[in-house]
Amino acid sequence: MYKVLLFDGGVYRVNELYELVEDVGGFIIQKTQTHVQILVTLAIPEEERDVIERKSQELGAKLTEIPLGGTEIAVVAPTLGRHHMPHPVCDIAEHLRRYGAITVVMGLARGKGRKSAQISAEEKALINEYDAAVFVLGNFEDCIKTEKVRLFEDIRVPVVVVCGPAIDGLPNCKAVVSGVCRRVERMRRAEDIAKLEEIAEKVSKVIEERRRIIDEDPLFVHPAEVRQRIEDLPAVQKSLRPAPIVLHLDGLRVKIPYHEWKDQLASIDVYGRKLKEIAELSDSRLDGSTLIRIYSASKVESMNQLESKKLLCDQASAHAKE
Amino acid sequence: MIVKVEGPEKFGNESYVELFNSILLDIGITRHVEAVKFIIRPSDPLFLISVKTRKAAGKIRITEIAEISQGKEGTYINITDENYAPSLISLLWQLYGRERIEQLSRLEILCKGIDEKEILEIAIDRGEELRKKVLDALWRLLPEGFKIRYDLSSENIITIVATEYEMKEEWKRLAEKVHADMEVLDVQSAAL
Repeated sequence: MYKVLLFDGGVYRVNELYELVEDVGGFIIQKTQTHVQILVTLAIPEEERDVIERKSQELGAKLTEIPLGGTEIAVVAPTLGRHHMPHPVCDIAEHLRRYGAITVVMGLARGKGRKSAQISAEEKALINEYDAAVFVLGNFEDCIKTEKVRLFEDIRVPVVVVCGPAIDGLPNCKAVVSGVCRRVERMRRAEDIAKLEEIAEKVSKVIEERRRIIDEDPLFVHPAEVRQRIEDLPAVQKSLRPAPIVLHLDGLRVKIPYHEWKDQLASIDVYGRKLKEIAELSDSRLDGSTLIRIYSASKVESMNQLESKKLLCDQASAHAKE
Repeated sequence: MIVKVEGPEKFGNESYVELFNSILLDIGITRHVEAVKFIIRPSDPLFLISVKTRKAAGKIRITEIAEISQGKEGTYINITDENYAPSLISLLWQLYGRERIEQLSRLEILCKGIDEKEILEIAIDRGEELRKKVLDALWRLLPEGFKIRYDLSSENIITIVATEYEMKEEWKRLAEKVHADMEVLDVQSAAL
């Protein structure tokens, strides 16, 4: 399984790190350089961590694990009105970013009320595009247990619920963090920070579990490899949107319009295959974006077998006709 | 401030009291609220709040919160106590219309073609001011989806009961009872 790490050091001899990462079968996810300092987000096989650690020490850099690196997480609130939870929602989203995730804050269109709180199929489909969803709910156990559970009923991605009352577990939800209620100020106190840490920890666990599941039938290529091939596209380079390419656990989101760029994206070469042969490309519900979901190695293999069988059948029937 | 909460869930009750305290602090009227009573029933759903405030002391003259000077185009007001700025501007709009009141900067107002003497007569009702602030606090506090509301108001008490779909008669009676109890509440002996 890959571990995502953050290298915080200088540019001097940093090429040695890049080479080492490549040698151990890892990838560079992102580089951010300011003058002579550089931040490098990298993904390496779990068992190679020591080697990278030693190299970082040698280069005088700090190496930290960012468990949510290479993920995109939705933080969902019933609405973004001041009656709901704008302060905790923003603080949670910000804290998850410190753990390496790209986060998106979402307010539901009709999420207010008790019985009248709703989530549309469109909103559920949008949430399903992310790697995990954090639902931030309110103060009353009865309300959450009987009504609000409907909000995350058919969501395929793992859900973490953050709410006020102490609840052991909820259906269709991987983890619950209690003790975060409606408030009118930011989460600044020591106990608030501890709570944010707890949320990040639970989300990290959920993500790690998902990583392990994916690892049982690994992807044909790591999303970071596809990223390296996509980032040279002129449309991506010209994109003014923040983070034009966002890594997911099982693929990536490219923030260029699907209908305009699907052909170019589909024909990108990845280890001698076209991208469309090893991944599913679709129009994202997030405006002007393309979603790429990479197939697992076994799926690509079985698709290959099917294709060669079909080819043989075609050849046989051509012979028969002759 | 006396606080009394009736509700089935300890955490929810406490968090609403904490939330109300933060809102009062935010608006700056903590010292003006004498007593508050909550009745919270999430399963109905019902949310009732009754607030008793201290009696506000009379009116405040414009000269106490601003400097007035006569100019060629009219009277210039330079607000010195920003707390009263929103209510003073809305009062001026009410009295003279928006086209005659020009806000030159955050705290400077020009009253076009209005004589200084007229402006000097203006006074702001402190009681009305406090009532607006309490109402603001209550709108911030009430659960967002609870749009069906029934409210009662007397000189220094405001009671609001809110629900999601249908307001039952018994809830209105309950609000009236809580409101009446607040009226006779002796804050010194402190029993709600």
